Amino acid sequence: MRNVKTILLTLALTGTATAQTTVEFWHSFGDAKRTGWIQARADEFNKANPGIKVVPSYKGSYNDSLQATILAARQNKAPALVQIFEVGSQLALDSGAFQPISSIKAVDFSDYIKPVINYYTIGGKVNSLPFNSSSPVLYFNQDLMKKAGLNPKTPPTTYGGLLKACQKIEAAKLGATCFGMSLNGWFVEQWMAQQGAPLLNNGNGRQGRATATNLDSAAAKNIFGFFKTLQANKAFTYTGKLEDWDGSDAIFTNQKTVFHITSTADIGNIRDAAKTSGFTVGVGVLPIADGTKRNGVVIGGASLWVSKSVSKAQAEGALDFALYMTNTKNMADWHKLTGYYPVRQSSIELLRKQGWFTQSPLQLVAFNQLTKTVPSPATAGGLNGAAIQTRKIIEDGLQKLLAGQSVEAALQETKARADAALNEYNANFK
Amino acid sequence: MLKPARVQNTTEAEERAVFRGTALPWVFLLPSLLILAVFVYLPALQTLRLAAYRANVILGTERFVGLANFTELLLSPAYRQVALQTFVFTLLTVTLGLLSALGLAWLASRPIRGANTYRLLLIYPYALSPAIAGTLWLFLFNPEIGLVNKILGALFDVRPRWLDTPSLAFGLVTLAAIWKGLAYNIVFYLASIQNLPGDVMEAAEIDGASGAQVFWRVAFPLLTPITFFLVFTNVISALFDSFALTDILTKGGPYTGNAGATTFLVYQLYQDGFVNFKTGAAAAQAALMLALVAFITWMQFRVGERRVHYGS
Repeated sequence: MRNVKTILLTLALTGTATAQTTVEFWHSFGDAKRTGWIQARADEFNKANPGIKVVPSYKGSYNDSLQATILAARQNKAPALVQIFEVGSQLALDSGAFQPISSIKAVDFSDYIKPVINYYTIGGKVNSLPFNSSSPVLYFNQDLMKKAGLNPKTPPTTYGGLLKACQKIEAAKLGATCFGMSLNGWFVEQWMAQQGAPLLNNGNGRQGRATATNLDSAAAKNIFGFFKTLQANKAFTYTGKLEDWDGSDAIFTNQKTVFHITSTADIGNIRDAAKTSGFTVGVGVLPIADGTKRNGVVIGGASLWVSKSVSKAQAEGALDFALYMTNTKNMADWHKLTGYYPVRQSSIELLRKQGWFTQSPLQLVAFNQLTKTVPSPATAGGLNGAAIQTRKIIEDGLQKLLAGQSVEAALQETKARADAALNEYNANFK
Repeated sequence: MLKPARVQNTTEAEERAVFRGTALPWVFLLPSLLILAVFVYLPALQTLRLAAYRANVILGTERFVGLANFTELLLSPAYRQVALQTFVFTLLTVTLGLLSALGLAWLASRPIRGANTYRLLLIYPYALSPAIAGTLWLFLFNPEIGLVNKILGALFDVRPRWLDTPSLAFGLVTLAAIWKGLAYNIVFYLASIQNLPGDVMEAAEIDGASGAQVFWRVAFPLLTPITFFLVFTNVISALFDSFALTDILTKGGPYTGNAGATTFLVYQLYQDGFVNFKTGAAAAQAALMLALVAFITWMQFRVGERRVHYGS
């Protein structure tokens, strides 16, 4: 080891070798498709930048890799670049293990889609670079809709519209439930944003630490009330397990539900499964509460964070790679492969020029929904360090509601538990 | 304890072999002790220390709170519910699991045609990992498209909601855990049954004992050592190995009362420690579970000495 160091030092001194900077990149994509794509971008980048060596590796779930990063940082072995999910943002910020990317060097963020960059801009600083982003949309079974006498060209866009369609579906006796989705707190966050209502106090946790949820607001009542009506009309089904994305998709693609809500990132998978199952799938905007203006969606997914404890060269290398991976062409490519949004305006332009939206018209709805989002604290998304827990608490609340609890009781209990979780987290800073 | 025992004057050569000094045995023990220290003792001590702090591993915050973590846990209705659920779950999986394993092993050990095939079929679930077993059950019990509800729907026109009805979800996880443990228990029972002394059984039959009498009066007492061993391995696996099954099948849900109906101690610990990063609270739970395991081990020795019939 010492010998190697001496040799390297000598080489460096004589100026015959340039020291290579290693950039560890930890991500949470375990599948071959996405891991392979990331590795290919790293190879290209390494070839073009001989001074930097980016080493991507899969580090388990978002939770696992966040924890691994923090523990590594304590021993000064932090990876330079880490992918962290959006609910972990406040936690990552509070950990003090990362540096805002806008302070590493000047980056022009004007090309990034506004609602996406807004989520990760905290206290005026861009903390992390958006990478894989998605939002929820309505999926519908066009064939079953026609059988029930509904027009697939005009899918419901509001709770009321959906409930009305459900009555027709019920009357048509299709042997399928009207609507189904995975119970996930993420959707509640979206529906709050759509109504322009922040989920948390203190400007959705962006002006100061959130100390309470707004689950007693009229907006929250609209959302829970919608599920209550669905339950009363027997118009809703799910697997019974929380956050069961795959199970809910399977119910929809097996034609046991007519309407389904899930992430845009599933468009490709659902379209393929529908083809196998023998029906035509349609995609529409996320139905929202009646009588409210459509404010748009909050971005979901994950972003790329740069560790604080790495050298300047590593931090710059990490940012350069992150920017390369999310450049116009690569993002368009990433979108076609996975269904995640390309996070840049120029990528959307590129896709439009390539005729992508005429080839895959399903995607257009998702884009419009995102680009038409009205910037506000509500649509920027709620920030709180206990977000993983509060999201789960909201899911518990919806589940109890579907099991028969009243809207008021469910919201009261959910709010009490979520607020307690917020306070417990905030107590860490006293 | 670790000092080599003074040797009495026995005739057997190997019993007289003794280390000259005290240093050498320690040298031989050192590798094991080092591994134990690094991977067991130090983490255990660290856990006990953390249990006295309000800590968050991500934030790196630690504030000394004394026994507050413990009092909070023991007073929390959620934790009490989880502990009670764990107790009922363990009781059910161990008793029902061992009874059905014993019954099946007894039947499969009868001299019948195709006995080997039966045995193979009974043992194979042991080869499945809990994660795969959980996924299989999840597919089977999907309320809309699962095989179980398809059959129940066609025959009786009922489609139970297995995963979000608290009692059904609890029953389902219990059943899955019993099924998953069955193969392991059957292997041990089969081996023990095959080793039962044939002459004793035969003598009982000649004396006119019925099949049931042979089983309960002769075979069952002779099987107490293995039953005893299985009770404790099953208790430990119900306490700790239920994790993967619950995580995949129900995620600890559905929430009822003050906690998820299928959230057991180890799952609660995982949630608090590795999902919500309440490191101190999780450490306190780990300490409580450590005490529980210590108690079970103590019971094992105590009961083992008094009640189990090991033969002459």
